[in-house]
Amino acid sequence: MAKPIAERRQGVGFITPLLVLMLAAFNLPILYMLTLGFWSKEGGFTFEHYAQLLDTPIYLRVLANTMRVSLVATLVNVAIGYPLAYWMRGLSPRAQFIAVSLVIVPFWISILVRTYAWIVVLGNNGMVNRLLLWSGMVDTPVSFLYNELGVMIGMANVLLPFLVLPLFAAMLRIDDRLMQAAASMGAPNHTIFLKVFLPLTLPALAAGTLLVFILCLGFYVTPAILGGGKVTMISNLLDILINQIPRWEQASAVSTLLLIVTLAIFAGYRALDRKVGT
Amino acid sequence: MESKMQRRTLMRTAAALPLVSLLRPATARAEVKEIRMIEAGGKSGESIEKGYGDPFTAKTGIKLVRESPAPLGKLRAMVESGKITATLFELGSGTMVHAKSLGLIEKLDWAAINPNPMFPEARNEYGFGYQYYSTGMAWQKGTKPLRSWADFFNTKDFPGKRAIPDYVGSAVPFALLADGVPVDKLFPLDIDRALKKLLSIRKDISVVWKAGAQAPQLLNDGEVQYAIAWSGRIVEEPKLVFNFNGAMADLAFICMIKGSPKEEQAAAAKLYHEMSVAKNQARAAEVVAYTGPSPDLDALLPKDKLFMYPTAKVNKDVQWVQNAEYWAEHGEEGNKKWETFKLSL
Amino acid sequence: MNGQPTWGTRLVAALGIGALAFLVLPLLIVVPMSFSSARSLAFPPPGFSLRWYETFFGDPSWMEALWNSLTIASISSVCATTLGGLAAYGLRRGTFRGRDVAESNFMAPLIVPTIIAAVAMYLAFAGVNLLGTFLGLVIAHTVLSVPLVIMVLGVAVRSFDVRIEQVGWSLGGSWFYTARTVLLPNIAPSVFAAWIFAFIGSFDEVIVTSFIGGTYETIPKKMFNELILQVNPTITAIATLLMLFTVVTLALTAWMLQRAGRLRSTLL
Repeated sequence: MAKPIAERRQGVGFITPLLVLMLAAFNLPILYMLTLGFWSKEGGFTFEHYAQLLDTPIYLRVLANTMRVSLVATLVNVAIGYPLAYWMRGLSPRAQFIAVSLVIVPFWISILVRTYAWIVVLGNNGMVNRLLLWSGMVDTPVSFLYNELGVMIGMANVLLPFLVLPLFAAMLRIDDRLMQAAASMGAPNHTIFLKVFLPLTLPALAAGTLLVFILCLGFYVTPAILGGGKVTMISNLLDILINQIPRWEQASAVSTLLLIVTLAIFAGYRALDRKVGT
Repeated sequence: MESKMQRRTLMRTAAALPLVSLLRPATARAEVKEIRMIEAGGKSGESIEKGYGDPFTAKTGIKLVRESPAPLGKLRAMVESGKITATLFELGSGTMVHAKSLGLIEKLDWAAINPNPMFPEARNEYGFGYQYYSTGMAWQKGTKPLRSWADFFNTKDFPGKRAIPDYVGSAVPFALLADGVPVDKLFPLDIDRALKKLLSIRKDISVVWKAGAQAPQLLNDGEVQYAIAWSGRIVEEPKLVFNFNGAMADLAFICMIKGSPKEEQAAAAKLYHEMSVAKNQARAAEVVAYTGPSPDLDALLPKDKLFMYPTAKVNKDVQWVQNAEYWAEHGEEGNKKWETFKLSL
Repeated sequence: MNGQPTWGTRLVAALGIGALAFLVLPLLIVVPMSFSSARSLAFPPPGFSLRWYETFFGDPSWMEALWNSLTIASISSVCATTLGGLAAYGLRRGTFRGRDVAESNFMAPLIVPTIIAAVAMYLAFAGVNLLGTFLGLVIAHTVLSVPLVIMVLGVAVRSFDVRIEQVGWSLGGSWFYTARTVLLPNIAPSVFAAWIFAFIGSFDEVIVTSFIGGTYETIPKKMFNELILQVNPTITAIATLLMLFTVVTLALTAWMLQRAGRLRSTLL
């Protein structure tokens, strides 16, 4: 039975108010920003700001730097997150609930608090350095903060839940009987893990990794606080271009570049995520 | 919350203005109740209030409302959007020239200000140079003292972590001095040479600071041993030493925002006058050890504290002066090189 | 994979516990530090004191920031929950074309880097006099909270049996009436959860607020500026209060969702 025309539009009224708000306060500003990058000072159309992106080494170097820091932070995340999710899978339901809560609660705590905590813990007079000095493992405090190491630790900490939660959910869906079957055929544990379990989790792992990487690219607070002014990521460069220099057209060109990179990676994430879903 | 109420009153006053001016002759405009100033913040902001805002309010009944911080982007957003929420804006010497070229600030009416005597460089067409400050080397007492900029860059004989400002104009000249460039040949600066010199100690540059309060904090916490810092933040710290030798003297300006209401600009002229009064400058210097532009100021300052002030004779003679015109012209190029340099740290 | 713990399982357990510690321990250390009597961040604290809490509550500028944060978060979370809730319902129950596109658009603030949203809103708001205004902040926070609301309420609407609503329609009730009287009471816990998430999201928002807030100070904006400036122990007290607030509201939300049997589906 063909639907009447009225029914084809049923429900539009419910989304209209939000749609209007989103178009006015989100889509239009982004569109405006995209066009601003093509405006010359005299008011005409120009590629000048994009030419600047390529001509001046600073922009591409900051982009490369952002990519590198993001990549390392993401890999650290995987190295910590995968074992965590795997361990959580094997816990009793009660222990699982506690572990999931411990992952989720920090996720909701202000990023400022979580970043600040590292200053308390890792500073020259912080707990870790006091322990190291006291135990005699080092003579002078180790510089954990105000460098890339500090930024990466902070980023990995903030982003861990984004990787662990979907990964854990995917691992829960894996049927235990698959592994039991493999074990009954005499496969040793590490073989079962490598040949059966790991491949089943790869799509979710890849999707989570890409998600974390995307989030890394736009990081602003952590490098600003833990970087000691030395770790410039794209967001911090944008801050300088908007608030200090100020060169809005250039900021718009840099943002456009970041947006394109992000959306390209996100397209990859979506493709993977669909695969996980089926 | 109080200030929001005031903002609301202000807005209501502003909205009523055209109506009022229709009803009354133009000379009897609505009275200005407050003027707003966007300033750098911290102790320097407090000193503006104690030194100049309080006597201004006592004489005119007009309140001075302060906001901070004062980045140039904020000024540009305000002027370009036409939504002027303040009258006065604090700018560094180089930034002021930049703001002038962007058309963001008004010429001052020096006749209306009618200032007391002041140093000529502080009396700028576009701004009132209200505060001298020095940028130089600092360390914690007990650390091996530095005598020259060459020492600051000599990490072998003077080991320890360094902190430098995240402002190209406050870092680069010192590297050239350390590299043997004489003071009178500093400008035009060879920025590339300076950055190369800075890179030679990159392993020891631990923090690149943005806010003046960071340097004393880092020195006190032992995060760094030597820093390039602003004098006023250091001299009042009992555990820290500031060396005026070879330091750079600079001047911060209070400018008038383009398009701010004429009545408020007229009221601001009275505030400017208060800023030129030596007695008020002495009171401001009590809050933070930076000094105003009056040639008569030294006599009013406490003798035992003279060594702290950038304009005290002993200090003024061993310093050199920042070149604002140079930075207005080369600021953008300098900033780009600086950001690139930071990536190599 | 069962039986005696092997070296492998012990290693995994050690790594897992280590990772949880990495997530949680730094936060836990902030709490005792906030009761320290010392200015420096010495650990363990040399003595007990409430001075940093006194500094916070005694400082009018922090109190104004708190008031701003609370009002902005209250208004924007209610807006986001209302608009987002309606939209989530329309997306799940509607039959119109382009639902996927609309939904992706609503989720976009989650994917587009916040810094880009901040830059875009800054430039656009500068043009329409919304920079540094209360309205501008409320609008921005509402937009940023929308994806969370859509996610939580989308799940809730989908899991509610549409046939119950159909009964309502067949009895002559309008869509809106049925949604209000039949659906809403049933998904109330999820609505509460969505509202809380939007509230926390707004209360913690720092990037967009820093860019477009102008002279408006909120708790995170002020905290961010102070953190870049210096290590101020007052921040430890504020951090502890923020954590307490988050943990309590989350526990409350979890408890409500648990009672409604919807905890698991909302979380994972």
